[in-house]
Amino acid sequence: MKRSLPFEIFRYAAIFLALAVALVPILWMLSMAFKPIPEWSATGEALTWWPQNPTLDNFRFVFGESTSNLIVALDRTALKPILSSLLSAIFGTAIAMSAGTAAAYGLSRFGSGQNLPLALIQLRLFPPMAVMIPVMIMWAFLGLIDTWWGLALIYGIVTLPFAFWLMKTFFDDMPREIEEAALVEGCSRLRVFTRITLPMMRAPLASAALFVFILNWSDYLIALLLTTREWVTIPVYMASLSSSMTGQLYGAKAALGLIAAVPPVIMGIAIQRHLVRGLTFGALKQ
Amino acid sequence: MSAAAAKLARQDGMTIAGAKREPTQAETEASRLGLRLTLPAQILVLFIALFPLLMQLYISLTDWSPLSGVGWWRAGELWNSFANYTDLVSDKRFWGAIWRTAIVMAVCVPAEFLLGLALATLFADNFPGKRVFYSILLMPMMVVPAVAGYMFFMLFQSGGPVNDILSVFVGGPVTIAWLSDPTLALAAVMIADIWQWTPLMFLILLAGLVGVPEDQMKAATLLGANSWQRFTTIVLPKMKTIIIIALAIRVIENFKIFDTLYIMTGGGPGVATETISVYIYKVTTQDLIWGYVAAIALAILIVLSIAAVFAMKRMAAAREA
Repeated sequence: MKRSLPFEIFRYAAIFLALAVALVPILWMLSMAFKPIPEWSATGEALTWWPQNPTLDNFRFVFGESTSNLIVALDRTALKPILSSLLSAIFGTAIAMSAGTAAAYGLSRFGSGQNLPLALIQLRLFPPMAVMIPVMIMWAFLGLIDTWWGLALIYGIVTLPFAFWLMKTFFDDMPREIEEAALVEGCSRLRVFTRITLPMMRAPLASAALFVFILNWSDYLIALLLTTREWVTIPVYMASLSSSMTGQLYGAKAALGLIAAVPPVIMGIAIQRHLVRGLTFGALKQ
Repeated sequence: MSAAAAKLARQDGMTIAGAKREPTQAETEASRLGLRLTLPAQILVLFIALFPLLMQLYISLTDWSPLSGVGWWRAGELWNSFANYTDLVSDKRFWGAIWRTAIVMAVCVPAEFLLGLALATLFADNFPGKRVFYSILLMPMMVVPAVAGYMFFMLFQSGGPVNDILSVFVGGPVTIAWLSDPTLALAAVMIADIWQWTPLMFLILLAGLVGVPEDQMKAATLLGANSWQRFTTIVLPKMKTIIIIALAIRVIENFKIFDTLYIMTGGGPGVATETISVYIYKVTTQDLIWGYVAAIALAILIVLSIAAVFAMKRMAAAREA
């Protein structure tokens, strides 16, 4: 449709305003991460939008290297929380994807598990906060408190609805001729699934896995309740980056926040095409 | 193959014995495989739904807490009938938290919807730079919510950039202590929520907007409809289901609001930003009255289950459309 010039001007003005609003908080964190302490401490100089003396000190600091201008020392570095976030998110994704993909295929092709779609949506609707008491008791009983594998298990369950629904819509969309041909050739149904369907679905599987990984990586509340010290994840660990001497360690927090924020943003852009499908439980496709 | 069809095939096999032996076996193999494939998911659902719910119901009828010195299975010794539920009715802090959650929802969801719809309208047709702008606009929703919380905590400091930007408009130094004023703190957490989740509305609504048939729009234009008329008579009705889905998703997620808010204010100052999730978290970790928490949680679960059935029907309708 042809648009008038005033409309085009208005459109670009509005979009640039929106871009600025979307980007300013992120850029502020980026800038904070590279500022030396006098530029971000409460007692320091006046606020500047861009680091005057860019430095990597904040990154060195969170990884435990002593830096010239930070007076406090960390009792533990960010290394293990990063490892915890990675392990729990990766294995949580593996649990959700394997259970979800298998169940989605079972429902899509053989009509098994008719109860799953509603049950899984309900699982997603409930605030995690409202089921955490029994989960905390169960996890304590199973010895899973403060372990990355305990987190991975609950992440796998919490994101199972997304894995299931995404894969179900992918399977529903997939033409069945090739599978049927393989069946006629004498392949067993299990072989068709593992040797033909799954390899064909490599790209959708990868997108769904990335989507689920982002969700797991983004968790805060569950880790806050189920980890205490050894295996806290990045967001929980970030709270400890303050001290009575210096107050909030803004620079260090920004540096670690940046490390936490970059992977999901890159992955999210990579799977942009499937975001709508994933977020609406397959109700909408792009 | 659907369950109904499988059943039909089995019945056929029984009536015309011999001739249908082969498909019957194939069907059995298929349904057995289907069962095996769905089993892990079923176990996980049972593991997280059935047992915890029963445990929650049991504990909610007692005064049990992790400090009571007995295991949860002996919580029955601290039976208090329905005292937790009657307490809940008169718990001012609980209703305050519900009220604040409702306010946050009543402001954030419509704001996100209108901003998202406005942006989606601007992106409906092609123009130079569209793809790049689109990707950038989606970035806020991909930032880890907890990190967004730390981010906005920094932004709203009295010497922070928000005040710095405001001072340009005011013409003098602005030193508002956003997060220590009850009203402003609530505004700040809502701004953070709107910043993060408007992109989600934009994304979903744009997907719906692109699906509006162009020939109908052209026809309406030829008939003399202006753009506002086209929008209200063609675009909005066509997008009805999508709008409902987008709103439902945000209402559900907004109700759970915790990460960003808790990091920014911790529910404070006082209880000024204490939403329902923050309230439950505090009662769980500070007051440790778990019997009571279980009662709160169950009450919320029941209300939400009703909402779930409603939302599910809508989504099913959307998929058929």
